[in-house]
Amino acid sequence: MALAVAGTLAGRRALLLVRLVRLGQPARRFDDVPARVRNEAVIALGQRKLLQRLVPGLMHAFIFWGFIVLLPTIVMAMIAVVDKDQTIPWLGSQGWFAFLVDLFATLVLVGVITAFVIRKVQRPARFKGSHLGEADVILCWIAGIVTTLLLWHASRIALGLNEWPASWSPVSNALSNLFSGGQGTKDAERVLVWLHVLLILSFLAYLPYSKHLHIFTAVVNVFFGRTRARGRLEPLVFDDPDVPDDEIRLGSGVVSDMTWKQMVDTFSCTECGRCQDVCPAYNTGKELSPKLLIMGLRDQLFAEGPDLVAMSESAETGKPLVPNAVSDDVVWDCVTCGACVYECPVSIEHIDHIVDLRRHLVMVEARFPAEADPMLRDVERASNPWGKPQSERAAWAEGLGVRVLEEGDPPPEVLYWVGCAGSFDERARQTAVSTARLLQAAGVDFAILGPRESCTGDPARRMGNEYVFQAFAEQNVETLNGHGVAKIVTACPHCFNTLANEYPDFGGSYQVLHHTELLAELVREGRIRGAGSDRSITYHDSCYLARHNDVIDAPRELVAAAGTPVEMERSGRRTFCCGAGGAHMWMEERGGQINEERVRQASETGADTLAVACPFCTVMLDDGVRSSGADLRVADVATLLAETLADESPPTA
Amino acid sequence: MTILVLVEHTEGVVDEVSLQTLALARGLGDVTAVAVGAGAPDAAPAVGAHGAGSLYAVDLPAVSGYAPRAWGQAVWQLAQRLSATAVVAPGSERGNEVMAHVAALADLPLAANCVSVTASEPLTVTRVRWGGSLLEEAVVHAPVAVLTVMPHSVEAQEQGSGAAGVESFQPELSAADTAVQVAERLTADTGGISLAEAKVVVSGGRGVGSSEGFGVIEELAGLLDGAVGCSRAVTSAGWRPHTDQVGQTGTKISPEIYIPCGISGATQHMAGCKGAKRILAINTDREASIISNADYAVIGDLHEVLPAISAEVRKAKGG
Repeated sequence: MALAVAGTLAGRRALLLVRLVRLGQPARRFDDVPARVRNEAVIALGQRKLLQRLVPGLMHAFIFWGFIVLLPTIVMAMIAVVDKDQTIPWLGSQGWFAFLVDLFATLVLVGVITAFVIRKVQRPARFKGSHLGEADVILCWIAGIVTTLLLWHASRIALGLNEWPASWSPVSNALSNLFSGGQGTKDAERVLVWLHVLLILSFLAYLPYSKHLHIFTAVVNVFFGRTRARGRLEPLVFDDPDVPDDEIRLGSGVVSDMTWKQMVDTFSCTECGRCQDVCPAYNTGKELSPKLLIMGLRDQLFAEGPDLVAMSESAETGKPLVPNAVSDDVVWDCVTCGACVYECPVSIEHIDHIVDLRRHLVMVEARFPAEADPMLRDVERASNPWGKPQSERAAWAEGLGVRVLEEGDPPPEVLYWVGCAGSFDERARQTAVSTARLLQAAGVDFAILGPRESCTGDPARRMGNEYVFQAFAEQNVETLNGHGVAKIVTACPHCFNTLANEYPDFGGSYQVLHHTELLAELVREGRIRGAGSDRSITYHDSCYLARHNDVIDAPRELVAAAGTPVEMERSGRRTFCCGAGGAHMWMEERGGQINEERVRQASETGADTLAVACPFCTVMLDDGVRSSGADLRVADVATLLAETLADESPPTA
Repeated sequence: MTILVLVEHTEGVVDEVSLQTLALARGLGDVTAVAVGAGAPDAAPAVGAHGAGSLYAVDLPAVSGYAPRAWGQAVWQLAQRLSATAVVAPGSERGNEVMAHVAALADLPLAANCVSVTASEPLTVTRVRWGGSLLEEAVVHAPVAVLTVMPHSVEAQEQGSGAAGVESFQPELSAADTAVQVAERLTADTGGISLAEAKVVVSGGRGVGSSEGFGVIEELAGLLDGAVGCSRAVTSAGWRPHTDQVGQTGTKISPEIYIPCGISGATQHMAGCKGAKRILAINTDREASIISNADYAVIGDLHEVLPAISAEVRKAKGG
């Protein structure tokens, strides 16, 4: 009876969720099954992302692993409710299992107590905006379930009903001293097992209505999490002959535009706030919190859900997501650095939500920060975001003897993709010159495209203008394929990400290296020899290089060749953005300045040089140094290496 | 097929964009023009020469200057009286605003910023979205098409037989229609010279040092009848408002002469001043990229150089 009630309550909610998800837009997440199984093992079962923070990670792991181990005891308790002398055959009488149950029940209690200490004593800021009362209720429920389990086992030991050797379960055995073994204990055993089962069933019924829903959905979400490069955005399909023009998906405007994966994302959020904790926008006083973004979308999804599923239109359905679920500012505050995505223990993909909201605002409503308009127009009109003449693209290379690839030329061993910044920005040009000199010094056969190179379309894409991006993707792929280019090197992590991860969707597959990777290879081979220096250098990881593309060691090898490395607290995949990502290079910043915050972090290392490997990081951090008056020199690792070039390097081939 | 066209004018002198609007509207049917405010009847020769058969002059005594909803009422009531099949205005800020009111009053869709219209049933329009980077083809399903014409997308063409006949029209207005109107016109602090249109711009960067430091910049700008600009570093530091910022994410300027002082000349700044005919850079750093982008440069402290220039300008003006 109780089982039926709980089952019905949970089932009704589950049915609503399933039907909602089935209404979601398509997302290609059924490929790569081995990688998905691996993710499930590592992220869900292994709790890897949670364990990135040791204490809260262990706290959660204890409870999670505990519940997995304790699963059979639910069945045992249900059997015992019907007949106190029955249990699961074999397993119910195993001493080692009884030991595991005792151990993990205790660990769950330790986990719950730790959770309370974290929430009540430590009170980390990441919980700001989360439903705290709900979490307390759930923790008490868990404690109740485990306590009744231990006490029930204790009462059985007192009555001699234990099918397992009592010595294997030290905790229950010790607790059995609480019971006299008389009629009172017999009644207590019945009361406890009923209490235990009712707590479990009511918990089951409550779960799908609470944020604790994640215990079901997170496992699903992790399985369908992205398996391809983290920096890649899912392309919109404009020319599918099977889709009528007025049904083409242009990002997310209303709830029913969300993909099913995005819906499961919102169901999976536990409001833990790890994303908020690492978000550079949130940390510099902006409105965006990745957690509140997902919660806002979830609230609107649940508000409209029942009507959507019933296919009935009401006042609740079809409301625009912006500004109802989240405000315009939230959508534009994001720098797409991916810190939130990397941190999220349940594989929520915040960037995809943000970009889909932007796509709708930009392509359907033409609604975006006005100051970004010149960039979008110049990318389209002049093929670069600053509106410089294409004819000046190779001007930086004048007098350097760099080969400019002409139409019909055979491909070089490596094509140097300079990028708009390297071609036109004063500070980034230094990097281009240094990179070219180093490649020449190592005798690498390389060439540039000159005026036939265009913007990759990345800033337009991150702004949400998928049309313009795809036009550039197709054009650049045609140019590259036309030359039979096989290997590309670029000094810009944004170009790198687009060329390596996004152009394959448009027919362009190349071996793409970041200049730090190629230069590190040349240093290892002895084709470039840095003389080193006594400079103390701290290296700032670019988000699009380290977090989105796992390039972490190569730039550090170069730093070591050019001076003495010293690490910042947030480095590698857990780096802190410079503030330029997600097209923010071309937007005004509201609130505190992200670049000044990062410069402050760099200054704390005591280094005299701040090494970077991205033209936008160079500009942002150099500006941050100037405005904060920090005593740091900002320079690309290629420039630092070129400055220490030892004389014995082999001459130009 | 009567097409009603709102023309904008200053004391009877018709704006170029309104003449362009007439040219586009002629492709749809017989054009009747309407003009609001003082001097409206004087527009008759010009609108006649551009193909309008008649001109309705609307005098709104209850309204001193511009009143968007009152104008919208006037245009819509006239359109109903004439049984117009389309109402067209220039896609200027004012034209778009008035047509938005017309559309709201009539409960009709508005197709703004059209570059071409095909006289089909229903009408097909091509219109600009996205500040010029996207063209959209749209079908206007409405008994009366309400359109505005993207400025400078159509060429004005004379065609017609002299002045249009003038009739006057008096709309019925309620208090709500005149609730919003221009009460007073004020010129901006720059002495009426907007940054985007100034012939001379004097800008300060981080090298100015403080918001008080802009005194020397304002002095020279004032003497040269120019506007004051600044770099992004200055607005980030809170020394000047964002409206003064020259650059990629600020105002794009195209003066005869641009005088950046204490500005290093980052790409983001240069993107805003590439329209300048001449650049005179004042900077202590000979290596700053602004120097290589400048036509003339003074290597020195702006707080010494600027007062010296101002003194010379004053002498030249006085002498």
